[in-house]
Amino acid sequence: MQNADNILVIDHLTKKYDDKVAVDNLSLSIKRGMFFGLLGPNGAGKSTTIKCITGIGKITSGRILIDGLDVEKDYKLARGKVGLSPQDFNVDFFGKCDDILDYMAGYYGIPAAVRKDRVESLLKRFELVEHRSKTFDKLSGGLKRRLVLARALVNEPALLILDEPTAGIDVEQRLALWGYLRELNKAGTTIILTSHYLEEVEALCTDIAIINNGKIVAEGTKDSFIKDGSSLEQKYLEITKGEKQ
Amino acid sequence: MVRREVGRTMRVKVQTLVSPVMSATLYIFIFGSVIGTKIDNIIGVPYITFVFPGILMLSVINAAFASSSSSLYFARFIHSIDEILVAPFSYLEMIFGYMLGGVMRGLMVAVLIIGVGLLFGAVTLVNPLGFLFYIIAISGIFSLLGMFVALWAEGFEQLSTLNTFVITPLTYLGGIFYSITMLPQFAERLTLLNPFFYFVDGIRSSMIGVSEANPVIGLTVTLVLLIGLTALIVRLFHIGWRIRA
Repeated sequence: MQNADNILVIDHLTKKYDDKVAVDNLSLSIKRGMFFGLLGPNGAGKSTTIKCITGIGKITSGRILIDGLDVEKDYKLARGKVGLSPQDFNVDFFGKCDDILDYMAGYYGIPAAVRKDRVESLLKRFELVEHRSKTFDKLSGGLKRRLVLARALVNEPALLILDEPTAGIDVEQRLALWGYLRELNKAGTTIILTSHYLEEVEALCTDIAIINNGKIVAEGTKDSFIKDGSSLEQKYLEITKGEKQ
Repeated sequence: MVRREVGRTMRVKVQTLVSPVMSATLYIFIFGSVIGTKIDNIIGVPYITFVFPGILMLSVINAAFASSSSSLYFARFIHSIDEILVAPFSYLEMIFGYMLGGVMRGLMVAVLIIGVGLLFGAVTLVNPLGFLFYIIAISGIFSLLGMFVALWAEGFEQLSTLNTFVITPLTYLGGIFYSITMLPQFAERLTLLNPFFYFVDGIRSSMIGVSEANPVIGLTVTLVLLIGLTALIVRLFHIGWRIRA
């Protein structure tokens, strides 16, 4: 499964919470440069898989390689290659916007001079300059989401994982964000996107996998999902409904 | 991480710095200037000089413990610990980040209380290096204990359990306010089993040059606790005890 083209290899991953199997012997490879959509209903195992990739969750069995690096054995090097924008706001509520970005950049060992420029550039890019001195708890939902996205990009990751990145963001900002994500992807960043907005996945992703009950139940290029003229949403419902039956 | 921890301390200065200095000032005033003037010299020094190192240690212990326990517990509570888990830190680096945050707060409190002690003429310093060693080592030990409690605690109430039932009683029974020669023989022997007695004695001997304990035993107890607790917390982080899903 591992070859130089793959930025991420998930090899027979199983994750249990006590006796409950959240991810069940899941295998998946994602090639460099892909814009990959990971879909599935609530509780399907998407966020658990992401937690295992990023080190937030412990792996019960199997292994995960990021750019050839085992996320358990070579965890320091592997984590340096990933940026995560999680579904839930896992941020110090009382931290100021610019501090949150600056500290995160510091965690990745980015030197002070580079860090300063990087933080400024992200604040500008996500239109957070005027809010830079506000604490996280004082931001609106959309601003919080943008800050968390900016934080995920602070280390210029090779693999960017976006778990519901546009939840709570208004239409204009969502479209602007789509444009930015396309640019990033074009510049070489591999992106994994989970979203309940299927039109978002359809607009952005090149490849898609559908996960249900902890297993991949469908996988392929976006075009292969919609080749018969049906929308991604129709196809998604068809597959997940079929799984339930 | 250390910068962020110091930032947390400075964000709530009244709680983290002013409050312990106020308490210590009252202790120094009451035990030193009010009661102390009615008490004969203890182990050859005025009571205020005898009691000051213990009061200093008490404040340093509380500062270091509160710093790491509140920071790590809060990070677990709001999941901002994920920021640390996804970053390319080794587990030892994560622990040093929290520990040094506690040590820095302990040092800040120590400097302020020494300032107050100078006003009362309570400060002597015969062995500055020994003093610095004990202040840093004791802050480190209590930062690590704070981290253990932060990992173990399931609620805010449990966060104060160890402090209330173990740390505070052992500290007060460790000879802060009295010489162990004042105790009945049984209690004196029992005190020799209390590690806090060696902490007080270590600081006191470095400040006034008089020791009631065997300094080799004191140094050994301090180093064993420091190294043992570091190893324990590294292990807990490594297995992800209550921090990784």
